[in-house]
Order: sequence, then C-alpha cells, then structure tokens
Amino acid sequence: MSDIFFLALRRLRAPLVLLIAVYAVATMGMVLIPGEDGNGNTWHMSFFHAFYFVSFMGTTIGFGEIPYPFTEMQRAWVLVCIYTSVITWLYAIGSILTLVQDPLFRQAIAERGFTRAIHRNEQPFYIICGYGETGELIHRGLSRLGLVTVIIDYNQARTSSLQLQDFRYAPIILAADGTNPQVLLKAGINRHNCRGIIAVTEDDHTNLQVAVSSKLLNRDVAVLCRSEIEDEAANMASFGTDVIINPYLAFASRVNMLAHKPALHKIQNWLINQYSPEHITEDRLPLGRWIICGYGRLGKAIANNLDRENIELVIVDPDPIASRAPESTIVGRGTEAKTLQEAGVNETDLIIAASDDDANNLSILMTARQLNPDIYTVGRVSGQHNQVLFKQAQCQYIMRRSQLVANEVLTMISRPLVSRFVKYSGSLSEIDTEQLIDAIGGLTKNRDPITWRLGLNTVEAPAIADHLSTGRKLTVGDVCNHEKLNHARCIPLLLLRGGVSQLLPPTQTELALDDQLLVCGGSRHLLLPERLRDNNELIDTLINRNRHHIPLLRWLANRKG
Amino acid sequence: MNFEKVIFAFFIILALSLNFGFFVGDMNDPAHHHPYELFAALIVSLICTVMKFGDRTQFGSTVLASSLVADLQLIAATIIWGVATNAGATAISPDQMASITSLAGGALIANLLSVILLVIETSQVRK
Repeated sequence: MSDIFFLALRRLRAPLVLLIAVYAVATMGMVLIPGEDGNGNTWHMSFFHAFYFVSFMGTTIGFGEIPYPFTEMQRAWVLVCIYTSVITWLYAIGSILTLVQDPLFRQAIAERGFTRAIHRNEQPFYIICGYGETGELIHRGLSRLGLVTVIIDYNQARTSSLQLQDFRYAPIILAADGTNPQVLLKAGINRHNCRGIIAVTEDDHTNLQVAVSSKLLNRDVAVLCRSEIEDEAANMASFGTDVIINPYLAFASRVNMLAHKPALHKIQNWLINQYSPEHITEDRLPLGRWIICGYGRLGKAIANNLDRENIELVIVDPDPIASRAPESTIVGRGTEAKTLQEAGVNETDLIIAASDDDANNLSILMTARQLNPDIYTVGRVSGQHNQVLFKQAQCQYIMRRSQLVANEVLTMISRPLVSRFVKYSGSLSEIDTEQLIDAIGGLTKNRDPITWRLGLNTVEAPAIADHLSTGRKLTVGDVCNHEKLNHARCIPLLLLRGGVSQLLPPTQTELALDDQLLVCGGSRHLLLPERLRDNNELIDTLINRNRHHIPLLRWLANRKG
Repeated sequence: MNFEKVIFAFFIILALSLNFGFFVGDMNDPAHHHPYELFAALIVSLICTVMKFGDRTQFGSTVLASSLVADLQLIAATIIWGVATNAGATAISPDQMASITSLAGGALIANLLSVILLVIETSQVRK
C-alpha cells in the first residue's frame, strides 16, 4: 500500500504544489484588498473569511459575496482567482486520472493485490508458470481437487482472460515473467504451504530457468517441468528437478506399448486418464508397414523409441536434410496423394501424421484414408478447437500434447502411487497383465476402474491402525476381499513400504503400520478398505470374527453363534 | 548544479526562516506576531511537504516526517488564530497568543531538524 501511495503522491507533486500556491495567492489577495462594510467603512477580510471564500469559489462559483457585497477591486481579483483556480483544479484532476490509467501504476496495484492474496492464503497451493492450454488443463484439474493455484504468465491478455472465468477456487494471478526470482519469491515459493512449481511455458529454456531458480530458492519444493528437447531435460535433471515430462517421448512410448504390449497400455490408460480422457484407442495397433509423416521432434521420438520387430517404418518429410532424417526418407509433406503413393500407402497398415500443423495433419489422414480405406490413422493435434475435426475425420488415435502433460502432472500430484504403479508396470509379465485386465474387467463390468489409496496410519485409517497396534494380523486379502461384502471387492495394485514398492502384492501379504496400499475397483460403491478404515465395528465383524470391542455386542454375538 | 535540488533546499530553508520570523518576540504579545507571517509559514511548509513526497529512502522518510510535524503544528496554530479572532471577540487574548506562539515554536524545531538533515545529506555527497 505505502509504495503505491507514495508513487501516486510523487507523480502528483507538481499539481499539488500548484494548487497550494494558487490557493495561497488567492487567499492573500482577498485579505489584502480593502472592502467596504454596509456603512461604507473600509474593511479587511480576515484570513478565516478569505480562506472560506476562496474554498467555495473554486468549486461552487456563485455562492454570493459575503459578508458584505464586494468592491470593484475585490471583484476584479475574484475574476482572476476564478479562472486560475478552475484551471488548476482541472489540471490536478487530469493528472490524477492520467495516473490511474498509467500501466505502471496499474501494475503496482496488481502486484500489491497479488502479494496480499498470497499472504492471506493458508491452504496448500501450486505455482503454475505459463498459462497456455496445458496450464489451463492443469489449473482446472487442481481446482477440482480443491487445491489453490498461483498462475504466472508474462502475457497480460491471457491472465486477464482468466479473470472472466468461473472456478471453484479462484486462482491467484500475476502477469509477470516467471524466470525472475523476485516474481517467484512474491508468488510464495518460500511459504510453508507451497507444495510445488509446475513450469509449462511454451519455451523449454524458460521452463529450465524456472526450474533452476525454484531449486535454488527452495530446495524442498517439488518442481515439475515440461521439456521437449532432450538436452534441456538432461540439464533439468542434473540439478534435481523432480519430474520432467517430455510429451513426445511419452507419446512415443505409448505408441510402442500399444503396438507391442496393448494390455499394459490398457491398464495404464485406465489409471492415468481418470479425469479428462484423452482420445486413445484401446485396440492393438496393427503391426506391419508404418508411415510417419513429418520427422520433427514427435516423428523422431517415435522412430527412435519404436521396437522395430514386425514393423517396417517409412518416413516422409518435406526437408529430410534439415531434419536429419534417414536416407530412405521420401521427400514431400504427405498431404498430396503422389507422395503417399510413393511411400506405398496402399500396402501400409498405419499412418502417423506427426507434423506440427493441424491442417496438414488432417489433410494427410484424409488423403491416406481415401487411398487406403483400411489404414489405421494416428494424428497429432495442437489446438484444442481442432480436436473435434480430427474426431470427425475418424482418426483412431489423437495425440494432444497439452492434455497428455496435464494428465501426467495431475496424476503425479493427486495420486502419486498411481504414478509409481505406471512407472514400474513395464516389469509385469504378459500373463500377469492379462490376468489383471480380466480381474479388473470382471470387477467393474468393463467400465473404467477407480483407484483408491489406503494409508495405514492413525490419521487416515484409525480403525485399522487400532487393529494393527493391538498386535493382531491383517493381510492384503483381508482388506480387499470379503465374502459378505461382495460388491465392495477391490484389487490390490501396489504396496509401498518404507519407500519400496511391490507390484500386485499377493493376498497373504501381511500389512504393517505406515504401509500404503493402492487398490482399484468399480466406482458404484465404497470400496472395502474405504469402509474399513474408520469403522471399528466392521473390522470386528468381518475380520475378528465377531470378537467385538463392546462387551454387550460380544455377548450377543456369542449367544447367536 | 541541479535546479530541482536548489528549489528543494530553497523551500526547506524558507520554511525555517519564515517560521522563525513569526516565532521571535514576546510569547503573548499579539503585536510581535503578524498573521501574514503565520500564513506564509504555513503555505511554505505545505509546499515543502509536497516536495518531499515520493523519496523512499530512510533519509527521505525522516525529512517527510519532520515536515508533517511542522504542518500539523502550524495548522493547529492557524485554527486557534481563526477561532480567536472570529468567535465574538475581535482582539486576540494574551493566553491564546501564547499557545499560538508555542505551537509555532514546536513547528520551528521540526523545521530546524529538516534543515539539519538537509545539511547532513549535502555533506555526504562526494565530489
């Protein structure tokens, strides 16, 4: 506040001095010029009267000549005073209005409001640098989870568009450069309730700078970054960025998984896309001959990460030398039939439109479909509004970079155990994966499953913690399955004990305090561990076989038994 | 030579000298204290305050504070004067004159402090 106040006063120095001077001269004049009282005696106005008269003269001309009618001399002076004081007032008011509209002044006010909002906020929050499509999706997801977000973007137009939208938790917004450490400090990076920083600007280097400054300012804060260039990603990793998401690599590994291990892909897809589904097919991608149109970052990532077994890759690029494509590359954009025929589209099983231009990608997919109706199409879409066109064109697998990043970030923030499971799930054998799919499918009647985390501590699961601390046993099977509550069955996915995670823990595994268990099940009912965690009676009934805590109930149960 | 600095110093010193001019004389003798002088001292003091706005250094804030003190005392003095001369009585009583003069004396101290601070700041400037 004080800064703004003094900034304003400083800018208003000239009009204020002028105003005081004009009032002083006018008052002095009124005192000095002799007047006449009702009887024709010479009379001098006192300072009090003069100041009173000058005060109302400037603002409400025509109040009257008091206490006696003025002499000609006095009237002449009042004339001069009226014009000078009115002009001075106009000048002063004009200066104030100019100041209020001044961008610097507005920026100062906005920053002040931002700092106050940060200090008033006592809830956990995340800082998002860059409010593009990705930032928007992440913000929406976090707001749905009940987390406060602080959004920093240098682009004023984007931040002001945010203010017009409705959210459950209004974000705290600042239009500023996130690479500036001062801005990060203002955004509360050192505050106790800052959970993490998410750098998702369009520019890799900016993300890198944000990550460096954040780690230097506060070592303990989690930093999540988007990076599309591998050098920058390696650089980010070198100083301890917690999570680096490369959407192209992620997409490439998904394509590879979908071609070679579709079951695993299906599980991962189920678990990650619980909030905003990506348009992903669940079918296996056909092996055989593949065409990639566009050998940019995405094209390269796919080509380099693809397991070439049973796949013959043909690359189409308009400028193979500049993009350092392999020698067999076919020159052309792929939007015209000639190039596609040259690439052998009629014998091809799958085509990936990987250029960064939505219109070209659409054209590639539609042309390919015309030439070969059986071809499987994969397309990359950049703009959110174009996604509907790709769906219309019956593209079977649409890759949207922003959504992929947002889903990964949200999963990591809201369900860290799911992220762990996905990370290690590559080690599951084919048979295990198939069995898991069947089990989940049977449980949810082929709908998407939901996941739930059981934290075995006194806060999150008081009843179970009671049970364990009295020395009685509890196995994974006990909390996931009981014949009396068949509809609440669930499947254990991961057991985290002392930082070590065990995938698909067997049912006879015994649970201990401070374990964390990830389970999945259908969404219709509360899952069994969810019901057990704070219900002592239910534990007594289901697990302790009616050995009740309360003597009366125990007696009744025994009598019945 | 910086013209802005000249103006600044001019007003600060003028405020002190006008204030002193009004203050000297018998405490309670209205003949020794002319209202024009008080008026001039108040106006110059107000202008001084405005000139000091916006300097965010420690020095600047102290000078501004002393100037605000002077304003406050002088405004109080003029209000007493206005009440004394307009509320029925035409002549100012020695009691009232004494309180006006002592307020002006307070303002004098504050103005003196401003000038001392100005001198200190000037002496710190390295050639």
